[in-house]
Amino acid sequence: VTAVWRPLAGLAVLAAVLTGLGFTLGASSLLTLNEAVGLALFAVATNLLVGYGGLVSFGQAVFYGIGAYTVALGWEHLQWSYWEGLAAAPVLGGVAALVIGLIALRARFLYFALLTLAFSQLAYEIAENQYHFTGGANGVFGAMLPPSLAQPRTGYFFVLAVTAGCLAILWKVTASPFGLTLRSIRENRQRAEALGVNVFGHELIAFVTSGMFCSVAGALFVIYSQSAYPELLDWTQSGYAVFMVVIGGMFTFLGPALGALVYTLGQQYLVAHTTQWQLILGAVLVLIALFWSDGLAGLFGLAGRRLRRPGLARPSAADRGADAGAEQERTGRSPGVADEARR
Amino acid sequence: MSTFIIDTVGTLSTAGTLFIVSAGLTLVFGAMRLINIAHGSFYMYGAFLVTTVAGAGAGLRFWLAVLTGCLAVGLIGVAVEIGVMRRIYAREHLTQLIATFGLFLILADLALKFWGTSSRTVNAPAAVAGRLSVGGATFPVYDLVIVGAAVVVGLGLWALLQRSALGWRIQAAVEDPEALQAAGINLRLLRTGVFAFGAALAGLAGAVVTPQVAVAPGMDSAIIVSAFIVAIIGGLGSVAGAALGALIIGTAETIGTVVAPTWASTFIYLAMIVVLVLRPAGLLGVPERAR
Repeated sequence: VTAVWRPLAGLAVLAAVLTGLGFTLGASSLLTLNEAVGLALFAVATNLLVGYGGLVSFGQAVFYGIGAYTVALGWEHLQWSYWEGLAAAPVLGGVAALVIGLIALRARFLYFALLTLAFSQLAYEIAENQYHFTGGANGVFGAMLPPSLAQPRTGYFFVLAVTAGCLAILWKVTASPFGLTLRSIRENRQRAEALGVNVFGHELIAFVTSGMFCSVAGALFVIYSQSAYPELLDWTQSGYAVFMVVIGGMFTFLGPALGALVYTLGQQYLVAHTTQWQLILGAVLVLIALFWSDGLAGLFGLAGRRLRRPGLARPSAADRGADAGAEQERTGRSPGVADEARR
Repeated sequence: MSTFIIDTVGTLSTAGTLFIVSAGLTLVFGAMRLINIAHGSFYMYGAFLVTTVAGAGAGLRFWLAVLTGCLAVGLIGVAVEIGVMRRIYAREHLTQLIATFGLFLILADLALKFWGTSSRTVNAPAAVAGRLSVGGATFPVYDLVIVGAAVVVGLGLWALLQRSALGWRIQAAVEDPEALQAAGINLRLLRTGVFAFGAALAGLAGAVVTPQVAVAPGMDSAIIVSAFIVAIIGGLGSVAGAALGALIIGTAETIGTVVAPTWASTFIYLAMIVVLVLRPAGLLGVPERAR
């Protein structure tokens, strides 16, 4: 039970702190925090694939961008209100994810990563070249928010509320039998297949789910930027999502959210103090890859070693009875063995 | 007929550049199972170095600049291999992608520092700067230079990989590295050499293409996507596949430009999707095994 409730408790504390900050911060800091919260949803949704599914996607920006463009283009061409755009975003994002997933998931490993990257570039080029519909390189901008959301503080609280709600849903997804099966596929695909698990089906559902929530994150982006432009769809934007996942820790649920926070604040700080922020970002990435693949969450885990990949590869001791039993049923081996195999 | 000749030469020229870049990418993958996002940065550095070395002077100085660009990028490749790459060959794909994405950002930022944001152009030497008329069709002579360079690179790689002892060692480096080491081959040196060679090929492509493009930041991210698509279509690790993929992409782009100009750039992705649906591991690739 603790394993289920501990992250939820963490989420509650985090939400309380972020709510408090919402009342105290000034407008410009609030905007930064707002961006961090929106990106946190983007990162956690991306991690459903990268961490839980073992599917390294460099194309999640497609859905992020679709979310933002749905709101912006709906506003421009169909006179949609923001609410209509927000409601349509996950639908369109989900449909796009279904189409892309059906193609990209045919490939494995690197081919999958490169294919998703190519789709990201495809989306970018469509947005940039279809000038008459998308506004080309300039994108779409304007007063597309209702007055209540355009105000920084209410806008922030709205983003915070939607993100918290989405994270709660995503947490339920990862803790469900579906989430466990997804992990078992990551650990041993052949074994899962042999046991009759529909591997492709599970991966496709994960891809669509991730796409839908990335799309919501994109719709939230409009709240603090009031615009949508092609760079949102670019593969480097997808790369940043993977970066947040890695820096925060891909083997925990909230790690990527932490990564988003660090990324946004770090970027704000660096951009203000140096012109070389990309250089520093790149150096951090290389260092992480070389020396420190657990991310920040690994650092916060009390006894780093013991809590490595908590909740993913190895359920906590108190919970082992029920949770491990379920996993064992699906994978046909104990989580301990899975752990050994990973080393 | 004349438009057909023009389109064909243009296609071959595009495919030529793409092939040289992708050959380097796929060679490195074939020998080390490493995919390098920063490969496009090497291409951009090759181009920027030419703009610096050649300056306004055309003629012999241009060819010297191309050579310098190619070799200097090879040296950058040596430094990158020793500093980062050799530590991540055995790691999982995500780690490799993260590290090379980091390198991509670092190299992009350094390029910005050295060469700024403005775009630069280079004139081709007078001997190959004009236009050629064949059967009523006129096209830039320089297109033929690029096609020639691609053919030389292709034949050279074929001879190296299929006909030389060094080529067999490169191929064995991924199949059975232990046996190679037992035979007294310096595997570290071999890997450094292959990586530098792959980087130099990207540098060469960037250097050779300068008279035809505006050299500017952003070249790196545009070319790497194209190179990935070529490698995906042809099959990672296969040099012949890279040639095939480059031709398919070049053709798709030309057809796109003729049929639907505003959608031209989407045609190469269509080509990629069609190939992938038919053969998930590329035309000449073998399905990748779990590691």
